[in-house]
Amino acid sequence: MTRLGHTQALLGPELFKQVRETPVLVVGAGGIGCELLKNLVLVGFANIEIIDLDTIDLSNLNRQFLFRKPDISKSKALVAAATARHFNPSSGIHIHARHGNVKESSNDLEWIKGFGLVMNALDNMDARRHVNRLCQAAGVPLIESGTAGYLGQVSPMMRDQTECFDCVPKQAPKSFPVCTIRSTPSEPIHCIVWAKSYLFGKLFGEDDEAVDTEELDKAQAEGENAEEIENLKKEAAAFREVRQALGEENGPARVFSKVFNADINRLLAMEDMWKVPGRVKPKPLEVDAIMDGSFVPPPLRTASKETNGQANGKKEETANGNQAVLKDQRELSLKENLELFVDSCRRLSARAIAHPDIVLSFDKDDDDTLDFVLATANLRATAYGIPNRTRFQVKEMAGNIIPAIATTNAIIAGLIVMQSINLLQKKYGAIRLPHLKADPTKPLSKQERTNPDPKCPVCRDVYVLFKTDVTRCTLGEFAQGAVREWLASSLNEDDFEFTILEGGRILADPDFEDNYEKTLAELGIERGKMLTILDEDEKYRPIHFCICEPAVNATTSFTLPDKCPQIPLRPVAPAPPQGSPSPEPEIIEALPLSVTSTISTKRGRADDGDVSLGSDALKKRKVDVEANGTVDGEDDDDIIVLE
Amino acid sequence: MSALAQARLAEERKQWRKDHPFGFYAKPIKSADGTLNMMQWEVGIPGKEATNWAGGIYKVNMAFPDDFPSKPPKCKFDPPLFHPNVYPSGTICLSILDEEKQWKPSITIKQIVLGIQDLLDNANISDPAQIDAYQLYKNDRPAYDRRIKAQAIERRPK
Repeated sequence: MTRLGHTQALLGPELFKQVRETPVLVVGAGGIGCELLKNLVLVGFANIEIIDLDTIDLSNLNRQFLFRKPDISKSKALVAAATARHFNPSSGIHIHARHGNVKESSNDLEWIKGFGLVMNALDNMDARRHVNRLCQAAGVPLIESGTAGYLGQVSPMMRDQTECFDCVPKQAPKSFPVCTIRSTPSEPIHCIVWAKSYLFGKLFGEDDEAVDTEELDKAQAEGENAEEIENLKKEAAAFREVRQALGEENGPARVFSKVFNADINRLLAMEDMWKVPGRVKPKPLEVDAIMDGSFVPPPLRTASKETNGQANGKKEETANGNQAVLKDQRELSLKENLELFVDSCRRLSARAIAHPDIVLSFDKDDDDTLDFVLATANLRATAYGIPNRTRFQVKEMAGNIIPAIATTNAIIAGLIVMQSINLLQKKYGAIRLPHLKADPTKPLSKQERTNPDPKCPVCRDVYVLFKTDVTRCTLGEFAQGAVREWLASSLNEDDFEFTILEGGRILADPDFEDNYEKTLAELGIERGKMLTILDEDEKYRPIHFCICEPAVNATTSFTLPDKCPQIPLRPVAPAPPQGSPSPEPEIIEALPLSVTSTISTKRGRADDGDVSLGSDALKKRKVDVEANGTVDGEDDDDIIVLE
Repeated sequence: MSALAQARLAEERKQWRKDHPFGFYAKPIKSADGTLNMMQWEVGIPGKEATNWAGGIYKVNMAFPDDFPSKPPKCKFDPPLFHPNVYPSGTICLSILDEEKQWKPSITIKQIVLGIQDLLDNANISDPAQIDAYQLYKNDRPAYDRRIKAQAIERRPK
């Protein structure tokens, strides 16, 4: 029997032919992507495109087994394809590897329509959403997947047949209120976020003081309260001063005195703030007392709930014992933290002075920045009576590291291929959503397929292929030709009023037609983007015109499909977002805290993607949605969210 | 930006265009390319009649995150405001704008601006965000009131 004979016998001639001929797309060549590509090649898929924008990193090699040490810093997609190609030498497979972003403009609706199946092996929400939308627009089946530690899940999706990725609201990544971070931290993570997202930026980030001063001067000139402006200037100036002084001999000590002593004293002066139950007054730190050992840190608060699974908050018992402990897992003393603070400030300011044009930013693999965040977070934690963290823990928390386990990825990649068989055969009833749990007696279980959410803002909308030369077609031509003549007339709407959107931008609405003379290109609209039409009366589902390359030999500035598709009506009467005459929310009591600091604005570095919702949470969430019509992220105990 | 944020903000814009509370304004900021940026709104909040804030229109910049409405917009007085619950940068500390407190995805822009208007004359002293306004409020109420009235005059629409 030939190499593929077994597969052929197993699948039968028809399915085998589909496996051989269907063009499939793999998005991502990381933890799951490597396993998946290997599986596809071995099963006999022969027409594979794989795309990944990333390059290989040392930390990938423990599980992304298609890569070896000499491949470091090469393209993941290209190396993965070059390695996997040889796994099935006689099979005549073709792998088209691309080092690029799946969101780039050439990856438009027509491109995705060229595939019979798309498989996501991604690590971030944004790209997942993008691919989901493309697949929903094109009606191409998609298999979504993700892992986090021992957990993993696979979700096959097909327009009109199953839920899409956006049918279920996703828990947004956790972020922390400004006031908690700036004034009243109570957990180690708050101190880490403050160190990483606030102080680091103030000292080493982009110097926005010039803008600040300019703004304040302007405000003063415009008759703003002079005293108030003076105060703000003082605050800005204080930071500018320490920033400039950083390079000097006693610079780090001055920074220390400002942020750990003067600023804390300033907070203490706001007495009522500390009368709120549960808040603990911080104690200002003193350099000299710490250095000569006479400083008495405030007692550790007892009620501090251990971190919400952000890191394994368990303090290693060995940390203070005499057993050998890895350097990064040893807890530093207060004095050591102070010394590390001074030392890392020196190192960072030396770098800032040597390369003024390079803006420093936190990177968990950059030792200088990690040391700074470690020392700063621990010093702040000490002042507030919060337990300290080790370097290892801070790296995990500040770097948003999601543990990746090779075996989980391998199982998930296997399950993807199993589900791909259902999609290729169009056996939508057979679709299952398998998932892995951290349950040793029953690690694998499944959910049944669920129907699309009739209110889904992605898969229930209408998508139209719009071939156009964006440098020729004006917004007005689009509005007239595509919307009024083509769309509205097929709907028999004489007086069709509408808003034109692109992403987060309004291009035109009934009160705003200034842009009609501009070409689409002038409005920054290119291939791969979508022009969205919302009708003023909210009768119809949103309609998205997907910009593609102009048709060959096109004589007009755009080409539309011959027939306008059926435009479904909205499921419910035009409800304002919150439902009818809702009472004003009970706002009146102004509690401070608005939201800014997120743990990370960078994409999570866990290569292998995330489980967006644990399946149990998923069910639970759906119940919540049905019960209340809204989801408010209270029950995040068993949800693993990442990004 | 998510499809949900797009749909929701377009909806908010339309609702506001059709109807909004008297004396307020709220509009997406116009970008250099002539389009309106739905992620950044400029809002004007009038002080309530019969309070020390009356007469002033207080400008707020509202920045919507990509994961709106799971997350609330960030609201900042521009220029910053003399008020105990407003950070020196202008950022507003308000429970309905706090994801961990009373923010709900169903809260509308209209509700937010009314909430901010209400905060003006109802400072919450147990959560101060700036020391100057806080101390004056606490230690010398008449001086605080004078200061607020002066601010209302400064912020009269020109």
